[in-house]
Amino acid sequence: MDEYLRLENICKSYETKKAVDDLSLSVPQGCIYGIIGPNGAGKTTTIRMIMNIIVPDSGNIFIKGAGVTKDFRNRVGYLPEERGLYKKMTLEEIIRFLAEIKGFPVRKIVESMDSWLEKMSLLDYKGKKVEELSKGMQQKLQFITTLIHQPELIILDELFSGLDPLNIELIKNILLEEKRRGTTILFSTHVMEQAEKLCDYICMINNGRKVLDGRLAEVKSKFGTNSIQINMEGDAGFIREFSGVKKVTEFPNYIELKLSSDADSRAILKEVADRMTIRRFEIMEPSLYDIFINVAGVKPAELDREGKADV
Amino acid sequence: MSKMWVIIKREYAQVVKKKSFIVGIILTPLFMVGITVLPAMLASKKADDTQKIAVIDMDNKKVGEKFAESLTRYTLDNGLPAYEVTDIYYIDPNDTAKLTEQRAVLDSLVRAKQLKSYLIINHKAEVNDSIVLVAKSFGFRTNSRFEKRLSDVLSGIRLDKSDVNLEVDSILKLTRRIDLMQQAPGGRERDFLTMYLGGIVFVMIIFMTIIGYGQVLMRSIIEEKNSRIIEVMISSVSPFQLMAGKIIGLGLANLTQVGIWIVIGIGIYNFRGSLDISADVSAILFNPVFLSFFLIYLVIGYIMYSTLFALIGSIVNTDKEAQNFIFPITMSLILPVMVAMYIIQEPDSLITVTLSMIPIFTPTMMILRMNFIGVETFSFANPIILEATIGVAITILSTLLIIWLTSKIFRIGILMYGKRPTLPEIIKWMRYN
Repeated sequence: MDEYLRLENICKSYETKKAVDDLSLSVPQGCIYGIIGPNGAGKTTTIRMIMNIIVPDSGNIFIKGAGVTKDFRNRVGYLPEERGLYKKMTLEEIIRFLAEIKGFPVRKIVESMDSWLEKMSLLDYKGKKVEELSKGMQQKLQFITTLIHQPELIILDELFSGLDPLNIELIKNILLEEKRRGTTILFSTHVMEQAEKLCDYICMINNGRKVLDGRLAEVKSKFGTNSIQINMEGDAGFIREFSGVKKVTEFPNYIELKLSSDADSRAILKEVADRMTIRRFEIMEPSLYDIFINVAGVKPAELDREGKADV
Repeated sequence: MSKMWVIIKREYAQVVKKKSFIVGIILTPLFMVGITVLPAMLASKKADDTQKIAVIDMDNKKVGEKFAESLTRYTLDNGLPAYEVTDIYYIDPNDTAKLTEQRAVLDSLVRAKQLKSYLIINHKAEVNDSIVLVAKSFGFRTNSRFEKRLSDVLSGIRLDKSDVNLEVDSILKLTRRIDLMQQAPGGRERDFLTMYLGGIVFVMIIFMTIIGYGQVLMRSIIEEKNSRIIEVMISSVSPFQLMAGKIIGLGLANLTQVGIWIVIGIGIYNFRGSLDISADVSAILFNPVFLSFFLIYLVIGYIMYSTLFALIGSIVNTDKEAQNFIFPITMSLILPVMVAMYIIQEPDSLITVTLSMIPIFTPTMMILRMNFIGVETFSFANPIILEATIGVAITILSTLLIIWLTSKIFRIGILMYGKRPTLPEIIKWMRYN
């Protein structure tokens, strides 16, 4: 896949704090890319630098291999972390206004407006003022204004904040639709479970530094802890004897096996199935959260260094 | 440019569509007329009709008749005499009953407005200067005319009685006093009060629209910061486009408002009917030189001050924080009004000229001075025209400087939420490329 966006050794400091420290990443075209990290990790600063809202102290940003030009603004849709719209404008006015300042032709705005409002169940409110909408509706409206001008790159800062589960589902589907059209989507979140369900690629950052990045599946297998959960009837004590099983933890309803890296999970499944009824057999993937804790959290030296920097 | 145009359109529509815009168009002039023009117009108002006057003469020295004759010199604009002495009642000074009775009759006529006023010339008026004017209200102009004419009549009587070896009439001719006419260059009649208030009106228009629209601009920037839509805006347009678009959009709304006032003003003047508007109003409204300077100063002044308001909006987070910064702006705009009494007396003094060349004072000061001094034609022979033109250049240059500095601070300030920046921080921002 072609590369759409590349950051090279980006640094940004505020006063004494390094917000982003030597960050490099590469976003392939047409993928969903998640920047993941706890609050204060430097996600918003990174996104603002991509948006050219703030200028990096050092480092370079490339779009399709070239430097960022002025008309890049028109080809990107940006949803900031803190949402806000002009409260006194009607939905129709504000959608039109925000698309027009992206240089999107009025004819196309008018053409697509109703279908967008329909999709977000806001068509009945078209002539209403923004302030008359509920918070959730305003979020959906802002989402329309982020996407209506058909950007090549969609940047969503803290995508899930303030969204209820129904709207999250709605927006996920729309993002997947956009992805099918070839749009590149970059978002940040600190909610790792959500990111896990949506991204193709991830970049984990902590204290302004990259912890790891890559294709989600690869990251997961790389940091796989190789564990299996089995839900079955009867006493499973014999499992301890299997080759490759390092540790067995028994829970009331299931047992969890930690396997050595050369263990064959299919052989274990076969063996167990021969002896008893299995209700569930699951090869456990590590959650992003586990990986994050594993890679970023348990690094006393790293934390120590940042701790001093904060003083 | 097209993006800026989209912003201009939005800002303009947001103001003009509001009900408060219409209300402002109607109420602001009413308010200004209420505090400025109305008293001026009343003070300079000439009577439409001949004032009818009666005289009670208790001296029988023909004071009443001579006074009546002297009043014939005053005429109204329509050619009719300004005053008409309807009756002269001669009453014996000792007959107080008759006097009381006659006064009662005349009082009721004055109350019924059949008489404007009546004079009581007491016995030996030329000695004890005892003359009473009875009226429901007293006009400044009429008072001064009556005083002069009666003084002349009494002087004549005094001269008659004395041992002067000259014709009384010729002495009177030598000593008679005049009514001073005040005229602007070009022969238009002006008087102090209308000059003062006329000037203030134009300064007030500049002051009120700049403060009004400047604050609208500042609030909208604060609102954009608080609602965080500023980030969406800055991801679509450059900070400079945003700032310039807002300033121009609101400026056009401002000009629309002032334009409507000027049209209404000229309309009222043309169809004034029975309304008597002093010649000064027309001198000002129909003077293209003055009006052009006024509009130029309104526009530059607006751009200069609204840029400052944009600056304030970009560095503060709440209206309340902004108030501290607004105060000096308000003061510098209103200064000319506060020193107007001095300027009207010394419109060409060194202090006045110096003050009017300080850019933040120039728009209002120059308008005030031009109004007091009077501009008829565009000619550099008239020093005020030269100075006002230099003033325009100075103001444009300093406005450009202010825009340049503000745009450097603005683009950083609008993204700073929370803590208000300190002065050293702001200076640091200006150094960023």
